[in-house]
Amino acid sequence: MTKKDGVEEAIGGLLDAYDDDKEAIQYHVQLKKGDISDFVILPGDPGRVEFIAEHFDKAELVAENREYKTMTGEYKGRPVTVTSTGIGCPSTAIAIEELTNVGARTFVRMGTSGAMQDYTKVGEKVIATGAVRYEGTSVQYMPIEFPAVASHDMVLALKDSAIKNKIDYHLGIVQSKDSFYGQHNPENMPIADELKQKWNAWVKGGVLCSEMEAATIFVVGSYRKVRTGAVLLVAGDQAKGESLTKEEYKTNMSESVNMILDSSLDIKVEV
Amino acid sequence: MFNKLEQVKHLPIRFGEVARYVIVPGDPNRVPIISKYLDNVEHQGQEREFNASRGTYKDVEVSVVSTGVGCPSTAIAVEELVHIGAEVFIRIGTSGAVDGSAKKGDMFIATAAVRDDGTSKQYMPIEFPAIASHDVVINLINASKSLNIETKVGICQSKDSFFGEVEPERMPVSPYLDYKWNAWQKGGVGASEMEAATLFTLSQIRKVKAGAILAIETSDEETIDKMTNIVLESIYYMEKEKSHD
Repeated sequence: MTKKDGVEEAIGGLLDAYDDDKEAIQYHVQLKKGDISDFVILPGDPGRVEFIAEHFDKAELVAENREYKTMTGEYKGRPVTVTSTGIGCPSTAIAIEELTNVGARTFVRMGTSGAMQDYTKVGEKVIATGAVRYEGTSVQYMPIEFPAVASHDMVLALKDSAIKNKIDYHLGIVQSKDSFYGQHNPENMPIADELKQKWNAWVKGGVLCSEMEAATIFVVGSYRKVRTGAVLLVAGDQAKGESLTKEEYKTNMSESVNMILDSSLDIKVEV
Repeated sequence: MFNKLEQVKHLPIRFGEVARYVIVPGDPNRVPIISKYLDNVEHQGQEREFNASRGTYKDVEVSVVSTGVGCPSTAIAVEELVHIGAEVFIRIGTSGAVDGSAKKGDMFIATAAVRDDGTSKQYMPIEFPAIASHDVVINLINASKSLNIETKVGICQSKDSFFGEVEPERMPVSPYLDYKWNAWQKGGVGASEMEAATLFTLSQIRKVKAGAILAIETSDEETIDKMTNIVLESIYYMEKEKSHD
């Protein structure tokens, strides 16, 4: 691309990715090549970025715009980055696209979730092998028949790390939804019947927990040929009316971060 | 659904006559070929497209049961095999190339499948992912590495219409088939076959394990030989892991 017209200017960074101008600052995340490492941890909440970076050996703030806050640093000599995605698949897809444009090659979501099985207990960690695509973003990339699947080598690295760190984990499929309140108060929704019917199918099918970003991370990751994974802390159980206290929550989040950071050491640095 | 002591409705075997590990090719004629790699082989019979035999590999009991072509008969085979005691399923099959990441003659370990089939939708809403068991995938990869056999790893597509794939232009819905095929190519699908989506979806629902290894556009003896060796070795690893638990 030699000349940019107005429209191209507006989404400049995204287009630049396809003509090797990696110096351009990406439109939403406000990052350029060199600002991030190849390994990116993705929490939903920008307020959690600093907390995660406290577990690095060193870290600095590199960008902050809208819900996207990014810090880059090192863990045991391995470069690592943390970027928040905001809630939901639409903002998450933007983060994956723009981060990939400037050098990200592995994404691990770190989030919270609601229990869906009797045996997924509050405080346990779920390593997602795949996700139910009950969201609207990934279908604007790939037809719905395509599986939202995590990368097998990332799943293995996370599993090994959980075992090594003696963390209680489950491995399996999670559900990604768009409507938080549709999950928590389905009866209030005009489409209550559909919500309940599908929920029952997921539960019968062995889906472990419910969250809001993994499906798009996995589908867009397959398309962009990057490595993906997700660790979801079971923070609540609506059927049992249980949730973590503030103190438990923090301890458990620390466990998730350490588990992901340890797994990063199994992933070869890709520059 | 079934009386345990009776023979199940379609398969030629009954409760107690199947191993924990079952190799599931599509073609009934491939059952005796795969069985040659087993010791103490017993051919148990054939009903319709379901041909069954049983034997041992390094002292691990292994069954070989064909599913027939397509997800409808595969679902019947898997349901009945689970009912009579099977716990781990590994499909050995042939497939077409899709995005070029795997080429003619390659072997392809499937991590998940595109649900372009009708059967799995009668089990789970379409948003649910058809995923191979992580354990099986990792053991197939480890087995191929230790046997020094190169394999590709990735997502496969499971379709219902064979001729819709090979001659889409002949079909009334050809624009729809082309549009989807183009998406699979761009989205990173490596192989196209006809059974994995239902095998993976159903195994998740029935809480059993499943995986698949596919030969790309070949079914020559050498490739089947390599795939069978990989699968049997992976079964041996899984049995060893199990005894360590």
